Amino acid sequence: MADRGWPDCAKSLKGVVLDLCGVLYDSGEGDGVAIPGSIEAVQRLKTSDLQLRFCTNETQATREKFVAKLQRLGFDISVSEVFSPSPAAVAVLKQRGLRPHLLVYDGVLPEFDSVDQTNPNCVLIGDAAENFSYQNLNEAFRVLMGLEKPVLFSLGRGRYYKETDGLKLDVGVYMKALEYACDLEAEVIGKPSPMFFQSVLSDMGLQPCETLMIGDDLVNDVGGAQHCRMKGVQVRTGKYRPSDERHPTVTADGTVDTLAQAVDMILAQRGH
Amino acid sequence: MENESKEGGQFQVWTCRRQHRSQPRQQDKNVSDEEENRGAAAAAKATNLSWAHLHCSSMAGRRALKAVLIDLSGTLHIEDTAVPGAQDALNRLRQAPVAVTFVTNTTKESKRHLLDRLRRLNFDVQEKEIFTSLSAARSLLEQKQHRPLLLVDDGALEDFTGIDTSEPNAVVFGLAPDHFNYQTLNKAFRMILDGAPLIAIHKARYYKRKDGLALGPGPFVTGLEYATDCKATVVGKPEKTFFTQALSDLGCSPDEAVMIGDDARDDVSGAQNVGMLGILVRTGKYREGDENKINPPPHLTCDSFPAAVEHILQKLL
Repeated sequence: MADRGWPDCAKSLKGVVLDLCGVLYDSGEGDGVAIPGSIEAVQRLKTSDLQLRFCTNETQATREKFVAKLQRLGFDISVSEVFSPSPAAVAVLKQRGLRPHLLVYDGVLPEFDSVDQTNPNCVLIGDAAENFSYQNLNEAFRVLMGLEKPVLFSLGRGRYYKETDGLKLDVGVYMKALEYACDLEAEVIGKPSPMFFQSVLSDMGLQPCETLMIGDDLVNDVGGAQHCRMKGVQVRTGKYRPSDERHPTVTADGTVDTLAQAVDMILAQRGH
Repeated sequence: MENESKEGGQFQVWTCRRQHRSQPRQQDKNVSDEEENRGAAAAAKATNLSWAHLHCSSMAGRRALKAVLIDLSGTLHIEDTAVPGAQDALNRLRQAPVAVTFVTNTTKESKRHLLDRLRRLNFDVQEKEIFTSLSAARSLLEQKQHRPLLLVDDGALEDFTGIDTSEPNAVVFGLAPDHFNYQTLNKAFRMILDGAPLIAIHKARYYKRKDGLALGPGPFVTGLEYATDCKATVVGKPEKTFFTQALSDLGCSPDEAVMIGDDARDDVSGAQNVGMLGILVRTGKYREGDENKINPPPHLTCDSFPAAVEHILQKLL
C-alpha cells in the first residue's frame, strides 16, 4: 500500500498519540487552562474506533498528580493512558535488571517505589531542580565511576524552560555534565527517544505506520515520532512558532491550528 | 655515553648549568634560578651549531631538555599527604640543569595557599615557580577588561584582588563546591544567555579528594555550554596557551620541556599537543588504562613522581 500523506493517512490509522502541555492545555497559574475545543476533541477520539494514548516529558510530578490536574481541567483521561518518562524508565530498569541511583525531583520519587534501588548499578536523572546540588551530582558521578560498565539514563534532554520567576536549567544540562565527567553517552528516556515512542506503540499493540503523533514541539514530538516511522502532526498552539514550518531538518506531515481541527480532519477521513 | 660526541653541544650546556647549580641554592633562590636560565640560554646560543646534531640524534629531533613542568595535586601530593619519595625526587631533579615550574589547574587555592601546603609537606618550592589557572584567568580578565562574576572558591579570591567586580559582565567559572547549587548555576546561565562571556578556569572532569573522586568544573561548564549554545574560553590545562605561557616565563620552547602529571588528558595530552613530552604518573586521579585514552600515548607512564624524575635524569638528559 502506498504511503499516504496527511490527512489521507487518517483512513488507515489505528491509534493516535497526543502530547499534553501545549496541545490539551497551557500551563500557567494553578492548573493552567484547557485549549479551546481540546476537551471535546479528546472525547471524540475516545468514542471513535481509534486507540488513544498521551505522551509527555513531565518528570516533576507523578502521573497520578498531573492526571488529576487534567481531570480538574475537564479532560476524560486516566493514568493508564498516559506515558511519561518515569514509568517508561521503570520498565527499562526492570527489563534490564538495573538498580538505579536516582537523582530526580522529590515529587516523582513514588514512581520508582517498585524498583530495587539497593547497591545501584546505574544512574537515572530527571529534572531534579533544587536537588541538582553539587553534593547530589557528585554522588551520582561516583556511582557511575564505580561501575565497570556505567549506564546513565536521562529523563528527557531539554536545555531550559521558563517558569514565572525566570529561565531554569533543564535536565539535559546535567545530563551533559555527567556525560562529560564520566566520558559516556546517556540513554535518553522520553521524547524524542525512539525507545519511548516504541513503548507507547507496544502498549497499543500497533505498528508505527498505523499511528499518528500530535504535538506542539516540532523536534521532540513530531521529529521523534517520524524517526520511529510514525506520522507526526504539529498544532499551532503551545510552544509552536511560525519558524517551525521552515525547520531545516524536521517537516511535519501536517500542521493544524488546534487539536480540535486535527481531530475533525481525522474523523472526517474515516467517515465519521 | 655513545651519544656523547653527537650531543656535545648539549653536554656543554649541562656543564655550564651544573656550575651554576653548584652554587649554594639557599641564599636567594629566585635570583639564582633566573641566572641559571640566562646562563643556559647563553650557552645554547654559543653552541648553536651543535643543535643541528641534536635534531638528528637519538632524542628523536628534540632539543636538550631545559624545563620540567610538574603538576601538584595528585602528582606531588594528595591533599595533605605527599606522594612517597616526592620531596627527595624533587631535590634530585633540582640538581640537574633544568628549570622547574609547578603548574596546576587549581580553582580553589591561591598561590600563597598552594605554597604554604607544599612547604608544610617539605617541598622545596618558591612562589614564583608556581603558575596556576587562576593566574591565567586573571591575565585574561585584565587584558579584556571584564568585570567578572567570580564563581570561585573563597580561598581563590585573593588571586583576584583589585579586579573590578561591580555590575558583572562576564562569568568566571571555577569550582566552589560549597557555593554550587541550582540557583547559582541558573544565575550564571541567565547572564551568559544575555551575552556575558563564559570563562572557565579549566575543564577538568574530576579530581581526587580524601573521600574519593569529585566533580571538577568541566562538567558544569559543559552543561552551561549546552544550555546556552556558546563556547567557554578555557584558560587552564590542557589549553595550549596555558602551557606556552608557563614556558614563555622560563624562556624555553615546548620541545625543550617535559610535563609530569596524573591527568592523561589535561596534563599529558595537553602538553604533548604543544610539542612537549608528557609523563603520566599512576597516582592521584590516575585510573587503570588512562594512558590508552589519549593519542598519541604518553611519552612514559610510570608509578609515581620519583620514577618520572629517575626517567628524566637517566633518559632525557
